[in-house]
Amino acid sequence: RPLYPLPSKGDDGNRKPLQTFRPYNIAHRGSNGELPEETHPAYLRAIEEGADFIETDILSSKDGVLVCFHDVTLDNTTDIANRTEFANRKRTYEVQGENMTGFFTVDFTLKELKSLRVKQRCSFRDQQFNGKFQIITFEEFITIALDAPRVVGIYPEIKNPVFINQHVKWSHGKRFEDKFVETLQKYGYKGSYLSKDWLRQPVFIQSFAPTSLVYISNKTDLPKVFLIDDVTVPTQDTNQSYWEITSDEYLEYIKQYVVGIGPWKDTVVPVVKNYMTNPTNLVARAHAHNLQVHPYTYRNEFPFLHFNFSQDPYMEYDFWINKIGVDGLFTDFTGSLHRYQEWTSNRKDDDDDKTESNLLHKIALLVSSYE
Amino acid sequence: RTLYPLPSKGGNGSRKPLQTFRPYNIAHRGSNGELPEETRPAYLRAIEEGADFIETDVLSSKDGVLICFHDVTLDDTTDIANHTGFANRKRTYEVQGINMTGFFPVDFTLKELKSLRVKQRYSFRDQQFNGKFQIITFEEFITIAQDAPRVVGIYPEIKNPVFINQQVKWSHGKRFEDKFVETLQKYGYKGSYLSKDWLRQPVFIQSFAPTSLVYISNKTDLPKIFLIDDVIVPTQDTNQSFWEITSDEYLDYIKQYVVGIGPWKDTVVPVVENYMTNPTNLVARAHAHNLQVHPYTYRNEFPFLHFNFSQDPYMEYDYWINKIGVDGLFTDFTGSLHRYQEWTSNHKDDDDKNLLHKIALLVSSYE
Repeated sequence: RPLYPLPSKGDDGNRKPLQTFRPYNIAHRGSNGELPEETHPAYLRAIEEGADFIETDILSSKDGVLVCFHDVTLDNTTDIANRTEFANRKRTYEVQGENMTGFFTVDFTLKELKSLRVKQRCSFRDQQFNGKFQIITFEEFITIALDAPRVVGIYPEIKNPVFINQHVKWSHGKRFEDKFVETLQKYGYKGSYLSKDWLRQPVFIQSFAPTSLVYISNKTDLPKVFLIDDVTVPTQDTNQSYWEITSDEYLEYIKQYVVGIGPWKDTVVPVVKNYMTNPTNLVARAHAHNLQVHPYTYRNEFPFLHFNFSQDPYMEYDFWINKIGVDGLFTDFTGSLHRYQEWTSNRKDDDDDKTESNLLHKIALLVSSYE
Repeated sequence: RTLYPLPSKGGNGSRKPLQTFRPYNIAHRGSNGELPEETRPAYLRAIEEGADFIETDVLSSKDGVLICFHDVTLDDTTDIANHTGFANRKRTYEVQGINMTGFFPVDFTLKELKSLRVKQRYSFRDQQFNGKFQIITFEEFITIAQDAPRVVGIYPEIKNPVFINQQVKWSHGKRFEDKFVETLQKYGYKGSYLSKDWLRQPVFIQSFAPTSLVYISNKTDLPKIFLIDDVIVPTQDTNQSFWEITSDEYLDYIKQYVVGIGPWKDTVVPVVENYMTNPTNLVARAHAHNLQVHPYTYRNEFPFLHFNFSQDPYMEYDYWINKIGVDGLFTDFTGSLHRYQEWTSNHKDDDDKNLLHKIALLVSSYE
């Protein structure tokens, strides 16, 4: 029998709502600065740390089940290399115009993928959780958000749709994008940006493939974000250059289908020898078209953190929120961004000054210092 | 003529005073997470970023001038390797019981040391300032603090005194410690901890050598801090073990001479495989003896930042200030500690103005 949400799940109206007054804290692959990416614990940790949205990348297994996994190959973040029984599954496929060799998710059934264990990608991060957690499905990911103690949005990506559609076939001619949207609808996600339905179960659908976003616009009015890669990378489906898809003409076109763009941050403010240079006008132009800007990805550590910020991740958040004025930030370190926003905001959730007695206490303390 | 402070220098009474209500932000070697250590720009940056104290390590040149330099050799943080004219100055000396080979400051005159340029020690930090700045003298260091726009304390270390006294001779049988104290006195540093004189020109004198601290206690009542190294390192002068110098008996003895201890932070809270384990009771015991605790050194980056803190330096500051309760922190990243303390403090500098604004907001909601 298919899994459906239990009556007690979903928003019962009593959970603390999503904040919409400051830039969104988007937990990129969960709190993967601490735990292996796109695993159940990484997402639980992100929710605990204050994420507004938990982000994931959706691919497919051989048997057509949507899974949460970032890379098109399993090599870098699983223990596939230790599994001798799968050694003969190594393949070479063309992905986005390039030949890639490795173990591809589309060559493994869900059961086989579930037998693998995820590991931390970056060598300078905590390795103690390697081999402990499994790959989760898109439905399991959604359940994590719906079970959260407050309203937490999801931010799934339609990942490598050209490749997925070439390698996986669903019944009735369904495409990857169809299965993606159907899954969201099955769990009650609906409504346009900031509508009541959306605020109850917030979601942004993201993709680097504009044709996928245009295609699903006929199927759902949920808000979409168009991801933009590095300046050297053309779109995977329409082969358009960075300069074309960031032109005013193109923004004018794409804004019919998306509520925002998600550029790689080093294209918004270019970097030379790990120093940021002068900002481009991309954010201003996007805002002029009423498009939000959610750059990716903020990471606390050298070599990701540029020297302008003196090895201090909070200075980077300060720059992007207060100087550049972005609307959301994809971060590997949700807790850091949350603390930064809490400490520097004039609108704290638990602002003690809202209660009169606390304010009177502060007045008394202030006056007593003059006695 | 000897250099003396100009009349306009020193505390003129109108500079913003040192804060004494929260743990001290001690800029370790200046803001050396950003600029080459113990250089003038590193200290200026630290002052700009909010340091309460700027810390330095004092050694001596061959001709007896006190300089600011951390290592007993020049090899790791200067361009000495590129100076072919000095290639024949490489020596081997016994330092703290270990044979060490390299270029030693005690073998170079001040003029020669000034011809070198300092470079960043760690490969993962910004290298763009390498080769631009020179070694400064202890007197130049003091001048940086005294010229600061607010009251900034200094935190000099009597570095490797046994070795320095073996290699450098001063007239009239003066010792390294004597020259150190004389320099402070020449620039007006006096008074016991939190006295008016001290608050005007704050200073802590630090050393790993207890005999040096005891020796200078007869010469100055300026506050002193006894530095404590790793658990495997005995004191360089009295060869006492970590366990002996952190015992209650020893703390009872040393507190006659010092106002606090400066332990290596990973001895206060031991670390296994980059995870901190259970805290020891060293801080509680030191406080029971009325000794402050100023651990060293807080750094923002892996591999220094333990995994408990999720690569977030602010979580480390939070832990040490709020859970462990230290009284000062030596940090390579003064700006980060300052921002943390400002953002989380209930004693913000602009508290009065903010409070009035909040009162106005509250009242206006009833109009």
